[in-house]
Amino acid sequence: MKPLIDLKNIVKVYDNGVVANDGVNFSVNKGEIHALVGENGAGKSTLMKILYGMEKPTEGEIWVNSDQKHFNSSIDAIAATIGMVHQNFMLVPSFTVAENVVLGDEPLKNGLINKEEVLKITKDLSDQFGLFVQPDAIVDSINVGMRQRVEILKTLYRKAEILILDEPTAVLTPQETDDLFKAIRILVKQGKTVIFITHKLREVKEISDRVTVMRRGKMIGTVDTKDVTREQMANMMVGREVFLDINKPKIKRGEKRMSVKNLSYVSETGRAILRNVNFNLFSGEILGIAGVEGNGQTELIEVITGLKPAAGGTVLVGEKDVVNSTPREVRMRKVAHIPEDRLTNGVAVRSTIEENLIVDRYFQKPYKNGVFINYNVVKKESEALIKKFGILTPTGKLPVSSLSGGNMQKVIVAREFSSDPDVLIAAQPTRGIDVGATEFVREQLIQIRNEGTAILLVSADLGEVMSLSDRIVTLYEGEITGVFPDASKIDEKELGLYMLGIKKQSAGEMEKYL
Amino acid sequence: MKNFLKSKGFREVLRILLALLIGLTLGFIITLFVSDDPIAAYKAFLFGPVSRLNRIGDWLEESLTLILLGLAVCIVFSASQWYIGVEGQMVLGALVSGVVVLFVPLPPVWRITLAFIAAMAVAFVWAIIPAILKAYLNANELVTSLMLNTVALKLFEYLLKNFIMPEKARSLSSDMIPDELRLPSFIPNLPIFTEVRELWMKQTSVTAMVYVIIAAVIFAYFLLYKTSFGYELRTVGSNKKFARFGGINVNRTIVLSMTVSGIFAGLAGVHLSLAIYNRVMMGMSFGLGFEGINIAILAGNNPLAVPIAALLYGYLRAGADVMERTSDVSRELVVVIQALVLLLVTAERLLPTIQRRISDQREENNNNNKIKDTKRTLKGDPNES
Repeated sequence: MKPLIDLKNIVKVYDNGVVANDGVNFSVNKGEIHALVGENGAGKSTLMKILYGMEKPTEGEIWVNSDQKHFNSSIDAIAATIGMVHQNFMLVPSFTVAENVVLGDEPLKNGLINKEEVLKITKDLSDQFGLFVQPDAIVDSINVGMRQRVEILKTLYRKAEILILDEPTAVLTPQETDDLFKAIRILVKQGKTVIFITHKLREVKEISDRVTVMRRGKMIGTVDTKDVTREQMANMMVGREVFLDINKPKIKRGEKRMSVKNLSYVSETGRAILRNVNFNLFSGEILGIAGVEGNGQTELIEVITGLKPAAGGTVLVGEKDVVNSTPREVRMRKVAHIPEDRLTNGVAVRSTIEENLIVDRYFQKPYKNGVFINYNVVKKESEALIKKFGILTPTGKLPVSSLSGGNMQKVIVAREFSSDPDVLIAAQPTRGIDVGATEFVREQLIQIRNEGTAILLVSADLGEVMSLSDRIVTLYEGEITGVFPDASKIDEKELGLYMLGIKKQSAGEMEKYL
Repeated sequence: MKNFLKSKGFREVLRILLALLIGLTLGFIITLFVSDDPIAAYKAFLFGPVSRLNRIGDWLEESLTLILLGLAVCIVFSASQWYIGVEGQMVLGALVSGVVVLFVPLPPVWRITLAFIAAMAVAFVWAIIPAILKAYLNANELVTSLMLNTVALKLFEYLLKNFIMPEKARSLSSDMIPDELRLPSFIPNLPIFTEVRELWMKQTSVTAMVYVIIAAVIFAYFLLYKTSFGYELRTVGSNKKFARFGGINVNRTIVLSMTVSGIFAGLAGVHLSLAIYNRVMMGMSFGLGFEGINIAILAGNNPLAVPIAALLYGYLRAGADVMERTSDVSRELVVVIQALVLLLVTAERLLPTIQRRISDQREENNNNNKIKDTKRTLKGDPNES
């Protein structure tokens, strides 16, 4: 049988040089539920955007129903009966459900929208596919589950035969997830084909016929779901890449620098993102947080550093509780922070390198003199940092936008390391930078650890977490699922099971090592 | 010399002049179509403002107001706040300073000093409303400040009509400020200058306010580029999230950006009522507050470039007045030219970005070709076999 969709040797290189897909082959048969799994950043979404015409592949071919297609936009993909439901819904909140379903292709009567027809179309589609919605409800007033069903109906109204669902369960409660699965089964029974993106292996097992695993832009393999265990899938997903031997002296663990107790965080939409997180951080150690992205790492760091308010719990730095303090108050306790999102938090690209280097200290001596900033001192200190950290620039007076990604990261690293921190929170410190810069940053991390700084390391790169950390905790859905007191003695397969929530240590087991 | 030619300041000036030249040329082409005597009309436009002393005065007076307004807008724009309430702040500054000078029983020097302080203070406080709404409730400052302009103007009108206007006045205006309470001429009262001074005093209203304005330019420059407050302001303007991450109190900075701009806008109001019109009246150069936005854009938010931008822009406006009065071309044409100049200046700023995009694109294509070439060599070129 010929596959319904056949993506051949897809390569996608973004303008900034990031290789998102590297020779991916992916095929889907008619009438199946095909799960596409992988960590965040593995290239799943990019691949699906290519299939949906939102991104153009750098290389490779797209075949649908044995026809080669060249999609210029998603309009072409819709014409080829492909529909996609995005993670962030694209609905008009002030319109009714039915109006949203037909938006862009409204049934007309005398040149005006035929309101009764609009309601009827939606009602019929809803009945046919078992996707319950209230056609006349305003979208703003309905819950997330129903919004998702509206999105699915939208694609069905446009005659989609192939539905791409991008992490559809990420926003749903377990009950809503069950409803969604029921609906998906009905869709398939009526001849539709579903591609289901996720990184939750329980769901893959429950709903899919076949599963394709991606890792770092490459396809690892496609298998029949019934033939693999969750453990096997986990291995395919997180497999470790050996990168370099890190020369790390034996740990000299000192006094307790930070103590996180029962920390919790609830998102603006009311979802519990962190649930009673507990751990201590000691001088001279690197504590790694392993977990698939989106399991609360970002929020954990932002709550600790004062960027987000906690719902409960304490973060003691020394003796002082810094929960719900301002970012400056936290910094004044000698906590430095390499942020996860470089361009959002880490630098101001339109400001100069000098100005970027002083953001945490411009208000202190010797930088500030009365109401003035002493720009001579700023210049001198910046030049020293540029030299010490090898930032490639002729002068510190240039805007940060003139630097490459790796050099921008060096600016951040230079600033945060030179603040002489007691505690360093390092989130994705080497993401998206070249090999040389990566090695440099890692060496620097080890060095300040040796000098006694306590480091909390969060990285999507499991290899990095495992080789840099002295101790590792796993985070899954906002909870710590395991703690491993000696990072050098961990089997990564074992770690993967904790990261994906398949295994969990009890509170009693963890207490001793947290 | 070479360094000077390459310097950023020189290129900025060159850029503005070039934009001006192109704008004027296009304007002339349009004039050819709308005027029976285009040469005379354009001559009036280009040389009118300097043809007589009183016209020079008109040009300088308006430009001085524009400098202060431009500075006010520079401050808020540096913080990337799209605040356009400078107009309202100016109106209130004019009202308050006029009232103080007319009615507060103090010796002249103290009266005038108090008028300055009161105008700046009121303009400062006025901006607290949109600033707090923006910083703590995320209300769009563009909308709130625009609305408050109307409120300020109507407040001005109400107070003028009901409390300030003399009972039997025929126009919406206060009494004239008595001579002894007026600002002195900008020319020092020295024997050698006596003649020039008298002439300027008779024909123009260019007062000692000039010196206040020069000081304001320098003050604004230091405030923005040398103080820690200026650093906070510019960092918030460059990337708000980064500023917060680094420990800057973003909300406080936003509030201060709008209120501090009031200091300059308030002074602009002072310049209207105490220097140019010597009274408080309806319709004294109102609407000028919005021109401050254009000045700030032309000056690239740099206070030191504001005087040049304001004098150029003021010249276009003064030329427009003369042309309108002396020829069959209306001042709307000048508005077209002004718009063209602004367009060219801002468009020129886009050019480097576009060039970079194109070269990136090329590089990428080259890289892709390289990848393909390599692959072809590795696999053996199918075309060859």
